[in-house]
Amino acid sequence: MSISARNRAGSERTTRRALWPGRAGHGFVALYVVLLIAFGVVPTIYAIYFAFTTAGDTFAGFSNFTDAGGDFRFLPAVGHVALYLVCWLVSLVVFVVGLALLLHRLASRGVSKTLRFLFYIPGALAGAASVMVWLFVLDPTVSPVAFLLKALGFTTFDQVVAPGGLPILFTLIAFWTGAGGWILVMYGALNNISPDILEAARIDGAGPWQIARRIQIPMLRKWIVYMCILAFAGGTQLFVEPELLSQASNGVAGRDYSLNQLSYDFAFQNNNVNTAAAVSVELLLLGLVAAAVFVARSGFFDAD
Amino acid sequence: MRRIALAAAVTALTLGALTACGGGTATTAGGSASFSPAAQGDGPITVWVDATRLAAAKLYQQQNPQVKMKIVTYDGDANGSNYLQTKVSLFNRTGNGWPDVVFSSQNNETTWAVQSGFTAPLNKGLIPQSTLDGWATGANAPCTVDGTLYCLRNDLSQTVLWYNATLMKQWGYQVPTTWEQYQALGLKVATEHPGYLVGSAGDTFTPEIYLWASKCGANQVTGPKAVTVNTSGPGCTKMATLLDSLVKAKTMATSSVFSTDFNKNDARKVLMLPGPSWFGGALFQGGFKTPKGQIAAAPMPQWTGDNTPSVGNVGGGTWLLSAHSKNLKAATAFLTWATTSDDYQGKLAPGYPAYAAAAKTWLAAQSSSGYYASDVSPTLQAAANQVWPGWGYGQFSQEAIWAQTVTPGMTAGKSITSLLPAWQTQIANYAQSDGYKVSQ
Amino acid sequence: MPTDFRSPEPSASAPATAPVVTRLARSRRARPGLKNPLPAFVLLLFAVFFVLPVVWLLLAATKTDDQLVHANPLSFGSWHALRANWDALTGYQGDTVMLWLRNSALYTFLALVMTLVVVIPAGYALALTEFRGRHTLLVATLVVMLMPSATLVVPLFLEMNAVHLIGSMWSVILPYSFYPFGVYLAYIYFSTAIPRCLLEAARLDGCSEFGAFRRVALPLATPVVALVGFFSLVANWTNYFLPYVLLPQDDQFPVQVGLGTLLDAVPQFNPTVGTLSVERPELALATLLAITPVLVVFLFSQRFLVAGMLAGATKD
Repeated sequence: MSISARNRAGSERTTRRALWPGRAGHGFVALYVVLLIAFGVVPTIYAIYFAFTTAGDTFAGFSNFTDAGGDFRFLPAVGHVALYLVCWLVSLVVFVVGLALLLHRLASRGVSKTLRFLFYIPGALAGAASVMVWLFVLDPTVSPVAFLLKALGFTTFDQVVAPGGLPILFTLIAFWTGAGGWILVMYGALNNISPDILEAARIDGAGPWQIARRIQIPMLRKWIVYMCILAFAGGTQLFVEPELLSQASNGVAGRDYSLNQLSYDFAFQNNNVNTAAAVSVELLLLGLVAAAVFVARSGFFDAD
Repeated sequence: MRRIALAAAVTALTLGALTACGGGTATTAGGSASFSPAAQGDGPITVWVDATRLAAAKLYQQQNPQVKMKIVTYDGDANGSNYLQTKVSLFNRTGNGWPDVVFSSQNNETTWAVQSGFTAPLNKGLIPQSTLDGWATGANAPCTVDGTLYCLRNDLSQTVLWYNATLMKQWGYQVPTTWEQYQALGLKVATEHPGYLVGSAGDTFTPEIYLWASKCGANQVTGPKAVTVNTSGPGCTKMATLLDSLVKAKTMATSSVFSTDFNKNDARKVLMLPGPSWFGGALFQGGFKTPKGQIAAAPMPQWTGDNTPSVGNVGGGTWLLSAHSKNLKAATAFLTWATTSDDYQGKLAPGYPAYAAAAKTWLAAQSSSGYYASDVSPTLQAAANQVWPGWGYGQFSQEAIWAQTVTPGMTAGKSITSLLPAWQTQIANYAQSDGYKVSQ
Repeated sequence: MPTDFRSPEPSASAPATAPVVTRLARSRRARPGLKNPLPAFVLLLFAVFFVLPVVWLLLAATKTDDQLVHANPLSFGSWHALRANWDALTGYQGDTVMLWLRNSALYTFLALVMTLVVVIPAGYALALTEFRGRHTLLVATLVVMLMPSATLVVPLFLEMNAVHLIGSMWSVILPYSFYPFGVYLAYIYFSTAIPRCLLEAARLDGCSEFGAFRRVALPLATPVVALVGFFSLVANWTNYFLPYVLLPQDDQFPVQVGLGTLLDAVPQFNPTVGTLSVERPELALATLLAITPVLVVFLFSQRFLVAGMLAGATKD
C-alpha cells in the first residue's frame, strides 16, 4: 500500500516534470521571441533579401557580391581587417583573462574593487565622446604621454597615425574602451568558482599559475568562448575605431579602412543598400563560421 | 519544425508589407520636366539648419511671426556625415518626412539630391531670374545641373593671400603678385627669418587652395556623372614643384593649420597664408588670436604670363528646397530671405555672402570692425568673381582623397610631385565607385 | 590532483561559510617576503593605461582652449575656467545639454526595465529548461547578434514607419529593449552558476515551473540581473547610430547624438562653423557630463555585479 502510493506519487511527479518544462519554457521566452523576430530576425532577413536583389526589387543573384568584391577598396580592407583581428583577439583574450585572474588574486578587496572601476571607466566613453581624447593623446605636441611617443620616434600626429601602425592603434583604442567590461564579466565568473576547490588545490601544493591553468581557466570556458565569438565578430566588423580616428585626423587615417566602413559607404554615401547588404552578409557568414567552430569545440549550447 | 515554419511565414508577411511601402520609389530621375509639386496648402514648413545657421531661421521667425515654421538643427552634413542623404533616402522609401528647406555646409549636395528627386528646380518659376542674377559670378555653379538651378549658394570661400602686414613692412618685403615671386620670397624667408611660414600644405584644403587656383585639371567635372582627371598637366606639376621646394626650405608647413601642433608651434610665425575668405575671421582672429591691425589680404598670386587671374575655393554652404514641399510659397520665401537678406547675410552671417548685395553690407561691417590692417573688401570682392570654373563639384570629396592619399605620403617624406600619379589614380577610383564615367 | 573541474556540481556542496573561507585563504596566501612584485606592477601599468586619458579629460575641462594647447597636458587649469566652460556649455542653445541628458535617462531607463523583464526569464529558460525550439532560439539569437548593424538600420526604419512610430521615442526604446547579448549573459550565468539540483529540489517540493524560477532562480540571479542591467544601460546610453538615424527632432536627441552635434560645432573638427562655435574644453566638460551617470551607476551596482554568487546559493 505504502509502496504503491509512493510509486503513484512518484509517477505523477515524473509526468508533471515531463510536461511542465516544455510549456513553461515557451512562456519564459515568449516576450523575448517577439522582440527577437521584430528587431532581429526581420531586419536580418530583410538585409539578406537586399543582398540578393537590385534597387528595383528584382532578383540579382550574386551581382551585389561581385560588385562589392570588385570595388578598389575591398581587398585592402580585407587585409586591414585580418591584421587587426589577429592583434585584437590575442590581446583581448590574453589580457582580459590575465587581468581578471590577477585582480581575483589580490588580497585587498578594496584595491581590487577600485582597480575594476578604474579599468572600466573608459567603457563609458564611446564614439564621439572619445574623439577628442585620442586626438590629444596621440598628438606628440600636446599628449600627456608625449615622452612615450617621442621615445618611439614620433614627432607629429600624422606620423603617429601613419598606415603601418594602425592595426595596433585600433587595438589600443578598442581594448581601452572594451576590456573593462569583459574583465568585469570574467571576474564575476571567477567568483563563481567554489573557494573549496581552490583551497583543496592549494593544499595539494598547486601554485597560482597551476590553479589558473588547471582550474580557473577551464571553468571560465563558456565565458571565454562567448567572448571569443563576439570579439571575432566585433573584430571583423571593425568600424568605430577607424571612424573615430578618421574624425580626429580629418580623414588622414582610418577612412575606408575596414569592410564594415565600406558597407556604410555603400549604404549611405552611394545610396546603394544592396551592395552594402552584400558586404554585411559576408561579414555575418564569417562571424557564423567562427562561432560554429568555437561552439562545436566547446559544447557551448549544452544545458549542463 | 512547425514553429520555425510559422516564424518564417510571419516574417515573410511582414517583409512583404515592408517592401510594399518601399516599392516604386527607388530612383526617380531628376530634371525640371519631372517636377510636379505636391498638393499645395498653407501648412507649416520644416527647416533644417546647422547650429551656425540657426540664427537665420530664428531671426526670420521673429520678423515673420505669422509664418508657421518648425526649426530643426542637425549637423549640417559637416565632415561628410551624409546625414541629409541618408535621411532623404529613407524618406524616399517611406514617402514622407522630407524637410521643406535645408541648409547644408557642403556644396556638392546636388550630385545626389537631384538624382534622388529631392531638390526642386529654382529657376523654372519659383524664384525670378532678376533675383538669381544677384549672385556672384559662378557662385551657383555647384547648384546647376544641365542648366537648371537646384540650390542656392549661402557663402563663398574664394581664396586670397592672407599676410601679416606688420611683419612684411618691418622686414621690407613686397607682397608677391606672381607665384614665381611667392616662391622666391618663400626661399628668402627661409634664410633670413627661419621658422617663419609663407603657407601650409598640410591641410586637406591644399588641393583647393593651391592646385585649384593654379588651374590643375584634377577635378574637371564635365557632366552630372562624368569627370576628367589629369594631374600631370602644367597647372598641377608647376604648383607641386613650388610646394615641394618650399616644404624643403621649411617655409611651407606640413601640418594642418587647424592642428594643435600648428597652433602651438607655428601660429605666431605666419608671414603669409594663402587661404579662403573665412580664414580671416575663423583662423587668424578666432583660432590664432593674432592681434588686430596686423592681418591683411592680397589677391592670390598668378603664374607669370597667365592673363586670366584664377583663385580656388574652400567650401561654402548651400540651401536646398524640397521638391516634396506642400507649401512651396512659404518655403521659397524663407529660402530667398535666408540667402539674400541684409539683415541676416549682411549683418549676422559668419561667411562671405554669395549674394553680391549682401556681400557689400558684410564687407562694410568687416572693415568697420577694425581688425584688419587694411580694407580687405576690394581683394575679397575681386576674388569672388575669379574662382576657376575648371574645377568641379563632384560627389566624391577631393579633400578626403587628398588627406588619405597624399598626406600620409608627405608624412613619410615623399614629395608632392612624386605623389601626383597616385593621387590621380585614387580620384579616378573614388569617382568610379560613385558611378562617374572617368576620363584620364 | 584532479584536473577536470568543469562540472559545476561541486559548487552545490559549498559550505555556508564560504566567504569566511575565502577571506581566510586570502590572508593565508599573502605570505610576506615571498610575494612576487610582477602582478602588482602589471596591474598598476594597466591602471595607468586605462585612467591616464580620463585624467587628461578631467583636467581639460578646467582649462581654456589656449591652456589646452600650451599648458602642461596634466596640469590643472583654474576653477574660473571650469566655471566659464560650464556657463558656456549650459548656455549652448538654451540648456540643450540638460535636455539631452534627460532624454538619455528616459530612454535608457524604460529600455532597461523592458530588457530585464524580457531577458532574465529567457536566459533562465534557455539554460535550465528543455523545450522545443530551444536550440533554434539560441542559434537565431547568435546569428542576429553577429549581423553587422550597417544594413539593419534601413529595415528598422521601415518597420518603425510601418507601425507609425517614426518621431516617437518608442522608435528607439523598443529596439533598445531587444538585447541578445544580455540573453546570452543570462543563459551562461544560469547554466554555470545555478546548481540543477536546487531546481530539482524545488520541483520535487511541488513548485510550479514559474514558482521555481521566482523562488529559487530569481533570488540567485542578482549578479546577472545587475550585469545585464548595467551592460544594457551602458549600451543604450552610448548608442549613437540608431537614435541618430531614427529620431527626427533635435529636442529628442540623447546625449551621445548631442555630443556629436557639439563636436561638429568645434572649429578644429569642422572649420566651417562660424562665430557660434564651441571650444574644446566645453566639449570635454560635456563629455564628462555624459559619462558621469554611467560611472555613478557602476559605482553603486559594482557590489552586485561581481558579488560572490555562491554566498547567495548556499543560504537556502
